[in-house]
Amino acid sequence: MSDSVVLVKGLVKRYGSYTAVKGIDFEVARGRVFGLLGPNGAGKTTTLECLEGLRKSDGGSMSIAGCDPQLNKRGLRRKLGVQLQSSSLPGSMKVSEAIELICAWQGVSLRQDLIEKFNIGDLLKKQYSQLSTGQKRRLHLVLALINTPEVLVLDEPTAGLDVGSRAQLHEEIRSIKKQGITVLLATHDMSEAEELCDNIAILINGRIAVHGSPEQVTSAGNSDTRIRLRTSKGLLLPGGDIDGATFVNVKDGYLEWKSCDAAATVTEILKQVKVFGDRVEDLRVERPSLEERFLELMEGEKK
Amino acid sequence: MNAFFKYLFIQFKMELRDKGTLLNFYLVPLVFFFVMGSVFSSINPFMKTTLAASMTIYAITMGAVMGAPTPIIKMRESGTMRAFKVNGIPGIAVLSVHAISTFLHLLLVSAIIYIVSPLAYGSEVPKNQVLYFVVLIVFLAVNIGIGMFIGAAAKGQSFATMFSMIIFLPSLLLSGIMFPASMLPKSFLWLGRIFPATHALQSFYGLAYKTKTDLNAMFCLFVLIVMAAMMFVLAVWRFSSIRKNEQM
Repeated sequence: MSDSVVLVKGLVKRYGSYTAVKGIDFEVARGRVFGLLGPNGAGKTTTLECLEGLRKSDGGSMSIAGCDPQLNKRGLRRKLGVQLQSSSLPGSMKVSEAIELICAWQGVSLRQDLIEKFNIGDLLKKQYSQLSTGQKRRLHLVLALINTPEVLVLDEPTAGLDVGSRAQLHEEIRSIKKQGITVLLATHDMSEAEELCDNIAILINGRIAVHGSPEQVTSAGNSDTRIRLRTSKGLLLPGGDIDGATFVNVKDGYLEWKSCDAAATVTEILKQVKVFGDRVEDLRVERPSLEERFLELMEGEKK
Repeated sequence: MNAFFKYLFIQFKMELRDKGTLLNFYLVPLVFFFVMGSVFSSINPFMKTTLAASMTIYAITMGAVMGAPTPIIKMRESGTMRAFKVNGIPGIAVLSVHAISTFLHLLLVSAIIYIVSPLAYGSEVPKNQVLYFVVLIVFLAVNIGIGMFIGAAAKGQSFATMFSMIIFLPSLLLSGIMFPASMLPKSFLWLGRIFPATHALQSFYGLAYKTKTDLNAMFCLFVLIVMAAMMFVLAVWRFSSIRKNEQM
């Protein structure tokens, strides 16, 4: 990656004798959304906090838009926007005051476009304690974007949100990406990562277990693709194994196979349907999900 | 600098909106002042003359020692410090703004007590008004320093309340603001001299009201100045070390 804005090499972070992050490496290209996934305690938040300059690393090197988070915190603050996993503002602070305050400290003028875009115009006179969880998240996102950062860090941005607020926030993250802002996203939510991220890394016990695009990560696993078929006559096919695919069962009129080579299996099935003089009514090819891949990795880690 | 003053202005306004702050900084000290003003004026003629000084000591100790640590602990516990830090507001600015804002609120309450005491209860106007305010400002600084230190040092709200009570109650009972300290047993008299309230009362009596004092009033003022400097150094030191540990 030649245009990497986030570079992490051999990052190590210890808490006393416990090593939370054990020498991880990754790069994120400009304008991409990079997801850090993993179970609780995997080291996601610690990694992000080192990048945000909130924690001192114990080894390795980091760079965010050319700034070393450990050495150039002032420069970092100009280039980085952060929405923390657990952050708050004083309960009696009004939304307008929060925006004014952060603008003043960042040395930027008030961005009306952000207020309109994130739909917080109606909230300006409200106190922070009067906002809903979703409104608070939106406000923190606006605060993180006030300095027009090159890199935006989002730590569990949709945790605790209802379906509607979650979808709205996803839409906002997509529009942030369209502006060319690089996004680092830590999440537990596999479907969120699949939906939003260009690249992901799954962290387990402080190490990157696997990384790549969501498609690459899921296809690299041992989970098979499920192929389900319903035909008009329903009389053909012996319901047995096909080359490279294992027959699983018959359910609700569908025959189901598990295949490690979906393309070859589908070709073979279609050939057999023709031979039997039947007609395909419905054919479903279900790739293993990121969640299945994640569980597989977790299982492997336990062994 | 502009950002700092903007923050100070917002903080001051926020505290006026906050019920807890209003209670600690204004309501409780002023209600206590009005009640004790009536009691003192009828039972102890000497206390009545220096009512403004006694009640100012009470109000400042109440506001700074009991009230000031709470918002700092809340900010530490709720992640506000971290949110401020990642948005470019340094921790030391948070501490400074809280200290100055508390100073302004308590100066306002002290001014109310100073003006109302002679009008409502016929208490004496200090003979040296400049020195009255010098003592007042130094005493404010000591107590805000203590409040900031408790806010930075306490592990949680319950610890902070405990620390605050350890300072607040003896200040009230052993300094001489409720009854003459000379009535106390000797050991308590000496114990009372650990607390800034005792030195503040002696300074007010000797320097502002020009009355006889148990201790050298100028020396007491010097002790207060040293205490103020010490408490601010301790508060900043403690705050810096918890910022490292708590990653604020």
